[in-house]
Amino acid sequence: MRPVNRRQFLATTATGLAGILAARTPPALGQTREISYLCWNNFAPLSDKKLAELGPRFTKETGIKIRIDHIAAPQQAAKYASEVQTQAGHDLVEMRMHVPWLYEPQLVDLSDIVADLEKKYGKVLGSGYEAAHVKGVWRAVPQYHTTFVAAYREDLFKKAGLKTPVTWEDLYTVGKELKKMGNPVGIPISQNFDTISTGSAVMWCFGAKEVDKDGKSVKINSAQTAEVVEWYRKMYRDCMEPEVLSWTDASNNESLQQGKAGWIHNPVSAYIVARDQKLVTADGINHHQSLSGPAGRHDTDAPRSIGIWKFSKNVEPAKEWIRYLLGKKEVYDEYIMSGGAFNQPIFTKLQDHPVFKTDPKLAILRGEGVNYHTYGWPAPASDRVQLITNSFILPNMLAKAVTGTSTKDAIGWAESEMKKVMAG
Amino acid sequence: MAIGSLRVASTARPPSLRVRLRTALDRERALGPLLVAPALVLLVLMVAYPFGMALYFSLSDSFIGRPSHFIGLRNFVNLWDSDAFRQTFQNAFVFTGLSVACKLVLGIWLALLLNEQLWLKRLIRGAVLLPWVIPTALSVLGWWWMFNSLYSVVNWTGIHLGLLDPPGPNWLGQKYYAMAAVVIVNIWRGLPFFAITILAGLVSIPKELYEAAEADGAGPVARFWYVTLPLLKGVLAIVLLFSTIITFSDFNIVYVLTRGGPINSTHLFATLARQVGLETGRIGEGAAISLYLFPVLVLVVFAQLRYVRKRAY
Repeated sequence: MRPVNRRQFLATTATGLAGILAARTPPALGQTREISYLCWNNFAPLSDKKLAELGPRFTKETGIKIRIDHIAAPQQAAKYASEVQTQAGHDLVEMRMHVPWLYEPQLVDLSDIVADLEKKYGKVLGSGYEAAHVKGVWRAVPQYHTTFVAAYREDLFKKAGLKTPVTWEDLYTVGKELKKMGNPVGIPISQNFDTISTGSAVMWCFGAKEVDKDGKSVKINSAQTAEVVEWYRKMYRDCMEPEVLSWTDASNNESLQQGKAGWIHNPVSAYIVARDQKLVTADGINHHQSLSGPAGRHDTDAPRSIGIWKFSKNVEPAKEWIRYLLGKKEVYDEYIMSGGAFNQPIFTKLQDHPVFKTDPKLAILRGEGVNYHTYGWPAPASDRVQLITNSFILPNMLAKAVTGTSTKDAIGWAESEMKKVMAG
Repeated sequence: MAIGSLRVASTARPPSLRVRLRTALDRERALGPLLVAPALVLLVLMVAYPFGMALYFSLSDSFIGRPSHFIGLRNFVNLWDSDAFRQTFQNAFVFTGLSVACKLVLGIWLALLLNEQLWLKRLIRGAVLLPWVIPTALSVLGWWWMFNSLYSVVNWTGIHLGLLDPPGPNWLGQKYYAMAAVVIVNIWRGLPFFAITILAGLVSIPKELYEAAEADGAGPVARFWYVTLPLLKGVLAIVLLFSTIITFSDFNIVYVLTRGGPINSTHLFATLARQVGLETGRIGEGAAISLYLFPVLVLVVFAQLRYVRKRAY
């Protein structure tokens, strides 16, 4: 081998470095197939543990390294915004509800993956389609959804001879007794997603809506919304405690698990965690069908999907992760099972999934007779609907009303805020 | 002559690189900028650039991930239509006023105490600094648990001591209590800064002045009023200046404790700017919120520094 002198070495490395910098692509030898995935702290913690287990298995099978990061749900919006603004961050992101609409120009077209999944598992459920199918393109791949139910302390109800409520008005009757027993109703009225989930369900059941079907006209100012506000006002006064004004998404779960709340509106996560952590309240917790109102029985469905940022330099390896996690039936089953039915499969052919049969208390998740919707219904999914969500207008309208603002003023304020969002 | 000159030139070797460098560095005109350069680069990258970007955003309709347009001062004008912003404006002054006033009074009191001959003086002085040293987010999380409606140790203690009626105040769920909670935590966090800085001022006051005042018959209150306080004015002005700016722009305490709630009653400029700019994507509006008080704070800084300079010369 011909010896290389110092001058030749410097010239060669300088040329090579200049080439790499100009092309902004490392040489094949230096390219590591490594991806990063940002997802939320799942309310079913075993699901996150399973994800941590699946990551290394994926690496072993494909040679692609993966780093999985978690973030609390309330911080997701700001984190995604900063990643988009700086055009740097994770390759893959887990998205709730209509977030793919908000970031449509920044997300890779994943229609090919969804087409393969639909061939295998059947069509994506309506909520997943609404959330991730943006203007004819799948901007994210639906992975699971979470429906809301009524979670209550069955043991306390039996002890006090209380009947499980069927309507929201029944809940008021039962709630008064629960509060007297020291086990109030726990419906958050603060800037969090659970407040929107319950508030939306009550609105739909009373026939109220935020935005009309056309997706443009703000319709919050109505007699039906006034009924909703009045219902919240009396619930807050007679069935709940002021603590609900400071609650986070986890607070109603904790209140039920720690033996305080007698009834909450939530996905099954409160029970699953109590059961898995063997809390003393676990045996007493059960679920019953979602409540109804004058306009029928409606409840909230929160789909979650996975997107890939366009600025990612690892789009293909990132797609591989989605194919592995959701496309490999045995892996997807394992992942879904780990969430104990908090994460429900989002494809039509998987609705008889074994996860629903793991515990008789989860049978309610079949949701018979319930009309599930995503936030903003009946308005079609859009970035504006997601912005109304992120601005917490509905929770603040309710909080204003229960703390002294007149119904008219509270609704008027919400109407003006929503109109501002719709006007852009 | 020519031969002679040549001879001189050939015998005098040119100075080595090291010598030339040393000579250059000996010149103040070269060394000064060289030493300042790293700090200048850091300032440009970490302060001037973000500030310039924030200024640009505040004058645009910038929305996350979408093209933006220059709209002049429209964001600043439109903000007054938002009751969340008006509430935040009021909160910021209440929060800063209450916190800084309490920190000032308690800080002087604590500094006077620490200036006395105490047992384990060094240990106590070190311990006082703890709230200032612990990462804010972590310590505020502890406070969050203490104020939490379900686990509140504050209420539990108050009820068991007979000071509060069960179930106790809803610290983070009612607006006045929530404001009280964020102010209390801010005082707890900022008190060491006041106490230690004022203590440094106290230590520098000559003992002879106190002895002379005592000889003239001045009691403790008179000594404090006519000796301590006038000599502390310079230190107090600087402490107040820094604390006012830091408290106005506080973020961590409110974000961890209340997230601005209930119903925006504890939002400060920084937390509202985050909510509007990042959570709802309206970066332009968010930047305008965070820059709203900038002109006022510049005036405060200017006035206070002028006062300090006057006293110094």
